[in-house]
Amino acid sequence: MRRPNLEGIALAIFFVSICFDCSKVSASGLRDGFSKFDRKIAIFDPVGKYLKKPIEKKIPRLQVSGFLRNWSDFLLEEEGIVGSHNQNNRFLQLQNLAEVEVDYNIGKGLDVKGIAHMLYDGVYDWQGGTGLSADSNDRTAELYHDSERVLRELYISYRKPWLDLKIGKQQLAWGKMDGQFIDIVNAMDRREFVQLESDDYEIRRLPTWMANSTFYFGNNTLQFLYVFDFEQDRIPGIHSPWASPFLSESSTDIISRSTRPEAGNFSDHEYGVRFDRMAGALTYGFVYMYAWDKNPINRIIGTSLVDGRRVLRLESKHERIHHVGFTADYATTFSGLPVVGSLPTVFRVEALYSNGVRISDSQKQNDTRNGGPLSDGISTHDTVRAAIAVELALPHRTTFMFQPSWYQTLNHKEGLGPGFGGGFNDEWSFIPVLYLTRPFAFSKDRLSVDLTLYPLISGPDTGWGGIKTKLGVSFKFSNFIKGRFTLNRYDSGDTTDFYGQYDKWDNIGWELSYEF
Amino acid sequence: MSSSKKFGSCLALWFSVSLFNSCWASPDKTWKILTELSSQELKLYDPSTDTPRDSKISYLPAEPYPFEAPYTAEEMGYRYAEFPHINRWSTMFNDVFGVVTPSGYINQGAWVTFNLVVGQPGFEGYMRHKPGDPYAKWSVWQLFPPDLQGGQQFWSPYRTDKDFRTKLDFYIYSKGLRRIRRMPEPRRDQRFPDNAQTIDDVMGRDPWEFKWQLLGTDVLYETVRFPKTRPKIILNEGEEGFVERSTDSLKMMGDAFEHYRSDGGVDCWVVKATANPDWVPSGYAEKHLVIWLEKNSFYPLRTEKYGLDNRLIMIDERLVRMEDPKLAERGYAAYFSVYWNVDHDLISYSFHDGFELKEWTEEEKKTIFSPEFMRREWLYKMIKSQALVEKPDQFFLRSHLYPEKFPTARNVNLPPNLKTRYEAQESAQQLIFESNP
Repeated sequence: MRRPNLEGIALAIFFVSICFDCSKVSASGLRDGFSKFDRKIAIFDPVGKYLKKPIEKKIPRLQVSGFLRNWSDFLLEEEGIVGSHNQNNRFLQLQNLAEVEVDYNIGKGLDVKGIAHMLYDGVYDWQGGTGLSADSNDRTAELYHDSERVLRELYISYRKPWLDLKIGKQQLAWGKMDGQFIDIVNAMDRREFVQLESDDYEIRRLPTWMANSTFYFGNNTLQFLYVFDFEQDRIPGIHSPWASPFLSESSTDIISRSTRPEAGNFSDHEYGVRFDRMAGALTYGFVYMYAWDKNPINRIIGTSLVDGRRVLRLESKHERIHHVGFTADYATTFSGLPVVGSLPTVFRVEALYSNGVRISDSQKQNDTRNGGPLSDGISTHDTVRAAIAVELALPHRTTFMFQPSWYQTLNHKEGLGPGFGGGFNDEWSFIPVLYLTRPFAFSKDRLSVDLTLYPLISGPDTGWGGIKTKLGVSFKFSNFIKGRFTLNRYDSGDTTDFYGQYDKWDNIGWELSYEF
Repeated sequence: MSSSKKFGSCLALWFSVSLFNSCWASPDKTWKILTELSSQELKLYDPSTDTPRDSKISYLPAEPYPFEAPYTAEEMGYRYAEFPHINRWSTMFNDVFGVVTPSGYINQGAWVTFNLVVGQPGFEGYMRHKPGDPYAKWSVWQLFPPDLQGGQQFWSPYRTDKDFRTKLDFYIYSKGLRRIRRMPEPRRDQRFPDNAQTIDDVMGRDPWEFKWQLLGTDVLYETVRFPKTRPKIILNEGEEGFVERSTDSLKMMGDAFEHYRSDGGVDCWVVKATANPDWVPSGYAEKHLVIWLEKNSFYPLRTEKYGLDNRLIMIDERLVRMEDPKLAERGYAAYFSVYWNVDHDLISYSFHDGFELKEWTEEEKKTIFSPEFMRREWLYKMIKSQALVEKPDQFFLRSHLYPEKFPTARNVNLPPNLKTRYEAQESAQQLIFESNP
């Protein structure tokens, strides 16, 4: 039985009391108060006024920008033990992020850019409960404490009309969809796992050192990437807020620390090429990348006897993948339609074929564990992930988007674990994303609401895999300050499903940011 | 009737007529309906409504643009189309814009804008452009507000007709998402979010989509109004650098305009443009416009938009400047524009600071004016501005209403709350919000 939700009751009493108090105040009094607040906050920009403007005035070639952001998620209910996770805490994140960006123009077409940021997540210190301790294994879960994280980007760029050359630490986004399809260049900090949204990629992407050149000719562009420093994905570790409840505390097998490709080893570097072309209302492009899988795979390197039982000796290792992708978009306006009249519409498509994805094979591992022939415990498969999006500009500035997304593991077989780009623990997975947003005229468009639904169906074995729902309310306090409330729900599906396992993770979040 | 009585009646009639004439001639009454036009004005106006059509494009007048006097109302409408918010020649400027709400919340932007006209410049170039072909390319770099700093937009407006309805291709580059994203074009009759302007207000309206009627003439003495709290403004005058000007000294048609009346007024034609349902999208929310056109250039100094229920939706007023003397009376461009959305009491402004005519090189045309350029994150040329409004009470005033003018074509009644704020503003000569101070 669930414990009474005391915090929820307290919260409700708090809001009711506020409403009660408000009702005693006349509507005009409220309006006056709001109006005064509005005029004051409209010009609240202390960093801009006392730091940014004086510096930029003194050094005309310099531009400074940045932000401070508090970003918190709060569980609707505390559920206690859920699988391997002890959910005796309420906050999933209490993140405070500060970022400063400096751009300096050295000369015509020659610029240098640096971005530094600092994150502190209070979930490990600022709340009670013993369930969260991932920071003891990985300090960056709580605080960006090393130069690799604090120095986010630093690159020099040289531009001519026919060429762009950027060398240094940088992030590069390929892809335009909700979710990652051809966005494969940089690794990602996936600490929020299923709650990582496209809007957060800028903050969560892990920039890496590379040489990035693009050539321009006519309506075509050709980009070459040479990535000489590898970054891997960071997935939520055990005892972190978004750790999968099915991660086990310990393994009977012996897993050696993962080895990762090294910057000093030429053969470990990654290469990419992208071609884009515009043809009237149609734009399209192709990508190829010879990359590493951003997540290591456990490869069997031997067996040992422990307490009379045969256990596997595994080496966690990144593997090479060839990616080939396609992207296109097309815009048109349908006219003379009933109800809406004309309907501006955009179609987008992205697809990625990944060749040589290594996937843990539990059948092979079990065979070896049970005394069968020694194998590497891995199967090699190709995967395809693709999405088509239709975005409609409806009346009242309402935007509706429908994006069916498909993930397929080719030549799938039973017992395969998760692998890059393929189905989620099954041969295929299908997520028809629905997105709706509109601002409200009564708020002079400062208030907007968005709703996103991510229903998941996988096959042929799993079927319905649960649905994630995100309801967001954003309010623009001023040109400098924005706020947002979000309700995230994870409903239905089985406890082993991608979304279903987070059934007890329904949460509300808020975000308050000041930019200068 | 006795002769003395007859004499008395005649005297009374003469007195009444004289009194009427003196009122009519009063400087307070600046507007005239068609029956009151002078003979000189009548020489400039052709009341015909069925003039011959162009042999190639059947909906255009046959008379060569820019026409010769006398002008039909339709021809005045075509001349009006010479002057959309973004002019029809290649230029660059910093578009400083903003909005204030009735509560005093201000939202502003500063966008470095590079404008390339693809074909022949001017309205004639647009008119003769092939429908379905882009006639301009606008490349935008966002300098302000901070959350959009470094964001970019690419607009490619099309010449449209009944068969080709897409007004523009529209792309954004979000610095946060680091992606170029093609967006659906905004709906023509809807305000941009948090703004009073629609896409038609920015891009201009095709005159063949409207039925034109001359209402009369008027004299305007003020369009864009600065509040008493903003006596000075710093303008980016290109090579001269930043120049401080008294806001009182900014004239409606610029300093060089030769046709100011002795009392500072500007003579205008006043036309009514009614949306033709055969042309505009079904359900188009704007029923008609009433436009004040400066008499020599046909520059629209004031435009009122009315909804399907004849209510006033918005007033657009401009301060303009001669930017290209080679084009004579067609060389004016919007300098300051103020848009007052009456429905929501939203006041928007747009100021083209650091305005410069530009002949783009072939290399620049290929380089800058493409959506792919945005991916490069290259601010090709910085155009700075110091013209952002610093405080809500320094925002531009709501437009004059002129309730007495052309009452058969105009309904400018305000809701009571707004009327109170409007009257208080007129008395204070600065914006009055929902609460003051």
